[in-house]
Amino acid sequence: MLVLHAQGLQKSYRYQGKPIAAVKQVSLAIAAGEVLAFLGPNGAGKTTTIKMIAGLVLPDVGTVEILGRDPYRHTAALRSIGAVLEGNRNLYWRLSAEENLDYFGVLRGLSPRVAHQRGLALLERFDLMSKRRTVVQALSRGMQQKLALAVALIHDPPLLLLDEPTLGLDVEATQHVKALIREIAQEGRAILLTTHQLDIAEELSDRVAIINQGEIIVEESTEELIRQFSGTTYSVALEVPLDGDRHSKIERLGGTIEGNTVYLYDPSMLYDLLDILKPLPLLRIEKDDANLTEIFLKLTGGRGKGEEEREKREEGRVKDQQRLE
Amino acid sequence: MMFHLFVAEFKRSWIQLLRYPTEVISAIVVTTIVFYGLFLSARYVAGPGVQFGDRMESIIIGYALWSLAMFIMADITGGLQREAQTGTLEQIFISPFGAPKVFLVRALAGLTIQVALNLVILVILMVLTGTRLAFPPMLLLPFVSILMGVYGLAFILGSIALRVKQVQQLLGICQFVFLFLLTVPVESWAGSFKFFAMLLPMVPGAGLLRDLMARDQTLNVGLWAIALVNGFVYLALGLLLFRYAERETKRQGKLAGY
Repeated sequence: MLVLHAQGLQKSYRYQGKPIAAVKQVSLAIAAGEVLAFLGPNGAGKTTTIKMIAGLVLPDVGTVEILGRDPYRHTAALRSIGAVLEGNRNLYWRLSAEENLDYFGVLRGLSPRVAHQRGLALLERFDLMSKRRTVVQALSRGMQQKLALAVALIHDPPLLLLDEPTLGLDVEATQHVKALIREIAQEGRAILLTTHQLDIAEELSDRVAIINQGEIIVEESTEELIRQFSGTTYSVALEVPLDGDRHSKIERLGGTIEGNTVYLYDPSMLYDLLDILKPLPLLRIEKDDANLTEIFLKLTGGRGKGEEEREKREEGRVKDQQRLE
Repeated sequence: MMFHLFVAEFKRSWIQLLRYPTEVISAIVVTTIVFYGLFLSARYVAGPGVQFGDRMESIIIGYALWSLAMFIMADITGGLQREAQTGTLEQIFISPFGAPKVFLVRALAGLTIQVALNLVILVILMVLTGTRLAFPPMLLLPFVSILMGVYGLAFILGSIALRVKQVQQLLGICQFVFLFLLTVPVESWAGSFKFFAMLLPMVPGAGLLRDLMARDQTLNVGLWAIALVNGFVYLALGLLLFRYAERETKRQGKLAGY
């Protein structure tokens, strides 16, 4: 079931009298139980898009439907949205954790009794019960973020918009929030997630959409995207150096050697290589998988370390090939 | 549903107020000290033998109304600015109630606080100056018309706060305009001046309140009707502007930030 369907969103702002296109033509769809990582460099149009979906920014052109309803025309459609927006904690700092949940529950249309019950359940689930009476400003940043997530979930929304939910958190708090997001997604909610921490996006998302200069440049399932960008190279690390005989045999297979590591570019030759190496002690065998960071940098104009290494190896391979010929 | 929202807003505003009482106490102390300073200066200028009569009562009523109006204005516009910074403003705009409704209910819920604070100020002023004011139940009628005007102006200023975020300077200028509107006894004017005064926000209601509380007069129903229409027009104007500002701010994508 499609929870979010945004079609042809466009938004321009005026800066010093000139129109600047923040979002050019963005369409997004997220089904129930799906996590879409919405990635892009700073100023690419991520936050503007999220805010257009939440009805906080009016698009110049385009439509948004949440469970078939337009949030600009029917404010009731907003009941289906929970949001943790960027840069702040979205909470009342002078109220306690429990009071925030009580208040926002009613603001989202729940009765005070239901809001309170759901609030207590969320405090329990997010491990915040011992802090229920602590005012928000006395909570740690990680706890504030967990509470902001709980507040976004108070009315059990089918769509959750998370704009940089792990920004500024330490390692432990990041892990905690990450685990919570995974749990929330498993409940069948549609989640739109923006983050600069691409390892988190890779771990949590089912699909990835990358936006650059206001346009979506790729939208693909996370697995497929990584597969597309991954190389076919195998690297075999050995515990001991290679002797001259094995060295030449490997070169004949088209492999290259750097220190104690062998790189093989034709995957069909892997077992031939292993026969050559037998019985030398192996440290590890790895297939050259791309990660989301490399893909992101490649698509948005930057270059990842892994990519540079891969290119260096490719150059080495071509040189070796030329030498052999 | 709206009742639940009212109760939630009522609780939210009282909890936030009582959790940091020093802010409230200092607001009361400063407001009363300023008036007492003015009172002592006026007595010095007038000389020791002069009796102010009902004029002192009139001025106290005007001053208490002014401080009430300023508290409400600061509450609404300051609240909007603070919430734009902490991110709660956007959460309000995602509410299925719609932002204008939430802010109106919020203003009504906060009214209990503002009235309570200003009653304290009024009582302190009466004790300090030795004046006696009448509190006939009828005073609620012109009081409502004044409140409509105050909220109307607060929403107008709130609309500006939504658009430009910084309204402290404007709020400072408003203080003096409000002091004029609420303390000058335009009801004692005559002719076309009085007619134009009736068009100004809060003015007809403030005059009626002085008649009831300081001059022990009965309520002039005709004037009250004018005061009510006046309050209604300013409130409607404020709410319409707020709706417009909401739409424009969303169009420009400037709801958050400061």
